[in-house]
Amino acid sequence: MNTIGSIQNIDIGLLDSGKAEFYFTSGGFAGLKYDGTDYPHVTLKRALPVGQPSEFISVYNTENKEIGIIRSLSELSRENLDIVAKELDSRYYCPGVLEIKSVKDKLGYVYMELHLDTDKSGGHTKSCAVKDVSKNIRMLNEQSLIIFDVDGNRYIVKDIDKLDKASRKRLEPFMF
Amino acid sequence: MKPFSGELVFTEDGRITAGGEGFSAADAEEVLVKAGVGCGLLYVKLKEGENGNKERVLCRFTMSGLKSAGEFCKVVNFFIKTGKADIPDKPEMQNCAKCGRSLVEGMKECLFCYNRLSVLAQAGRYIKPYSKTILFTQGALVFATIFFLFTPLFNRYLIDTHLRPQTGMLIQITVIALGMLLARAMGEVIFILTARMFNRASISFANELRVKAYEKIQRLSMSSLAKRTPGDMIRRVMSDTTVIREFLSDMGRWAVDQTILFAVVMIILFVTNWRLALLAFLPVPIIAVAMSRFWSILHIRFERQWRKNSKSQSILHDIIKGIRTVKAFGNEETEIRKFSNVARELAEVSEDNEKLWARLFPLLTFFTGIGEFLILFFGGWMVLRGEITLGVLVQFTMFIAYVYNPLRFLVSFPRWLADCMTSMVKVFEILGEESELKEAILPENVPIAGGLAFEGVSFGYKSYEPVLKDISIDIAPGEMIGLVGKSGVGKSTLINLVMRLYDPNIGRISVNGTDLRDISQDYLHENIGVVFQDSFLFAGTIFDNIAYAKPGATLEEVIAAAKTANAHQFIMETTDGYNTVVGESGHSLSAGERQRISIARAIIKNPGILILDEATSALDVETESVIQDSLDKIIKGRTTIAIAHRLSTLRNANRLIVLDQGKVAEMGTHVELLKKKGLYYNLIMAQRQSSKTEVS
Repeated sequence: MNTIGSIQNIDIGLLDSGKAEFYFTSGGFAGLKYDGTDYPHVTLKRALPVGQPSEFISVYNTENKEIGIIRSLSELSRENLDIVAKELDSRYYCPGVLEIKSVKDKLGYVYMELHLDTDKSGGHTKSCAVKDVSKNIRMLNEQSLIIFDVDGNRYIVKDIDKLDKASRKRLEPFMF
Repeated sequence: MKPFSGELVFTEDGRITAGGEGFSAADAEEVLVKAGVGCGLLYVKLKEGENGNKERVLCRFTMSGLKSAGEFCKVVNFFIKTGKADIPDKPEMQNCAKCGRSLVEGMKECLFCYNRLSVLAQAGRYIKPYSKTILFTQGALVFATIFFLFTPLFNRYLIDTHLRPQTGMLIQITVIALGMLLARAMGEVIFILTARMFNRASISFANELRVKAYEKIQRLSMSSLAKRTPGDMIRRVMSDTTVIREFLSDMGRWAVDQTILFAVVMIILFVTNWRLALLAFLPVPIIAVAMSRFWSILHIRFERQWRKNSKSQSILHDIIKGIRTVKAFGNEETEIRKFSNVARELAEVSEDNEKLWARLFPLLTFFTGIGEFLILFFGGWMVLRGEITLGVLVQFTMFIAYVYNPLRFLVSFPRWLADCMTSMVKVFEILGEESELKEAILPENVPIAGGLAFEGVSFGYKSYEPVLKDISIDIAPGEMIGLVGKSGVGKSTLINLVMRLYDPNIGRISVNGTDLRDISQDYLHENIGVVFQDSFLFAGTIFDNIAYAKPGATLEEVIAAAKTANAHQFIMETTDGYNTVVGESGHSLSAGERQRISIARAIIKNPGILILDEATSALDVETESVIQDSLDKIIKGRTTIAIAHRLSTLRNANRLIVLDQGKVAEMGTHVELLKKKGLYYNLIMAQRQSSKTEVS
């Protein structure tokens, strides 16, 4: 009788978080010491950046080869978590939208003035232009929406219901 | 040096200052950009670092700073290589002179400073040849409208002067009635004639725009074309020019006429009786605001409906295209559910919109009729009191229609104009774009049969992502070069540069000592034959497809090319021989047959340089050997550059060049490189291993 290999038995290269030691180099890059090997410059990539940003974080070396996968950030020690979270924050930049101050449709582009949660002092307002709104303003699920501007910046509305009434109204034509 | 917030400066003496700390670019090996998601970082690779740590982050940036970072890399890396700070290449990034923002790729004007007037000024330039027709028709339309305005005036005169029992005379009534009829007829005749003239002008204008846009696309460089998708370009050429034509013939034609009509009628009404005129005008602002709001609500709602519709169509298109995969995975039920959900959402939105339309439209019509009611009520009262004549009242009630019709038009006009201007912008973006490949003013069309030389060539599709770095190669006349390397190392990019689809960022490529940039592009392309992996055949006969590279080729030449490419045999086996129609809706050919036609197409013009870009990669081993046989025949005596995934097909190459990370890693014959036991040896071994595994 043939034995069918189960997909569950495939080794996806999960890292043993107990053996991992993340650090920052003096040059400002994240590094990893794992199982006796030192990787002085690693890149962290989320497998599901939108749905599960804290799980399945892939660690790559400078040759773009995967060293392994962190199953969940919750498995990491406090020190490692601080470094990994900081590195992920600097690789994935998608400020949240607190308020949509204005939306103008002009000559095929949508111009938005967004108040963003970019810092602790109340954020800042950014003007951006969006081309081809059906492609670049996308509902991620029932609650959240992502906006890509012409420069390639992205902004997320994490919970549409938490926006003020005027902002929701301005956003309404793009929620489909 | 730590990441900082502030300025990053590179000065002419080669100093990089970041966050107050500085170092000499001479200590750096390279400055690079590392792309993140929604952001990126700029870092430097130093020649020597603390504890072997050579890489340092210079700054992090949002995507708005990406182009600046790319330009920074380009300038600093040029300095590191040459010691010069003035890079000869023009900067890829351009900034708006007004607001300083960097311009979006493919746009000459700043998105934030672009205004409607500048679009209209551009439109004016293109519409200039039609200006006489447009002015004449607009003038004639106003003239025709004046004829229509005679009807209420005649009515008033008829009622007040002649429609009186015992005093009125039939002859007078007949003259006035005939006058009314004549005025109406004249108006209609002018309408018909101007409509024909105006429509002809608008169709010609839109057609000219369409042809110019298409011409421009054909002439743009690959780097300009790569910024847009084929769908986007098709939409600009076809749909946007149609929107412009429809606007001109349906709306633009009436713009002057309706505005003048509205103004003239208002003046007549006020002159005749200002109090009644005020009554007639009273609901106008309310109706104008209501209509404007009505159209804006409808626009948003119908846009939503349009997008839902578009989404359902795209799902349908996707599923039907991939129906084989759907069935193979037994996912029919899931796909039915997915489409049903979208179709239901579309139905709900459509129903909502129809309900709204059904509710709002009668309301709007009702309010539009209020003016008429007010005129009848108060006008009738004034007639009874002898303040105005019956004729004046009739004139007012008739003129009221002339107020509300233009009003409806004028309220919806801005929306139509906005849509038209959006389309204009898209067409003008194409028309205004300059090709990044400049044609030599005095081209030196040297014979393209000699050697090719790459001298310190560096190139990247984006300045911050170099694909080829400092490539220097000399290819002798008639030599066959095999380009080898992993995917993404820059093999296809290198041949794109030979074809001059792009120009190098740094360095030069020459044929017989002449820079490719000094040779006319048409002449260069006439003398280069190319066979791609995906042999694209145009809709047409096999003859047309082979002769595509040499318009005017004789049948003898086409047969000769087909025989050299081992294609003649199968062509003659088809019922219609060289007349067989191929392409999307034509005779179906196998991949090998298509490839042989494309080889025939490449060699019919007897090119001095031949490029084979994975010409046999998509074929099975048996077909590949037939194609290889025809390729072996055609490469003799020609300078040939071949890329092949299967290294065995490069066995006849005089030299092999192995690319790695954008650089020439190894160069030599098959035997020399095998002896070297480097990258080429590893690639050969890996392929042998994989063939063994396949066999076993």
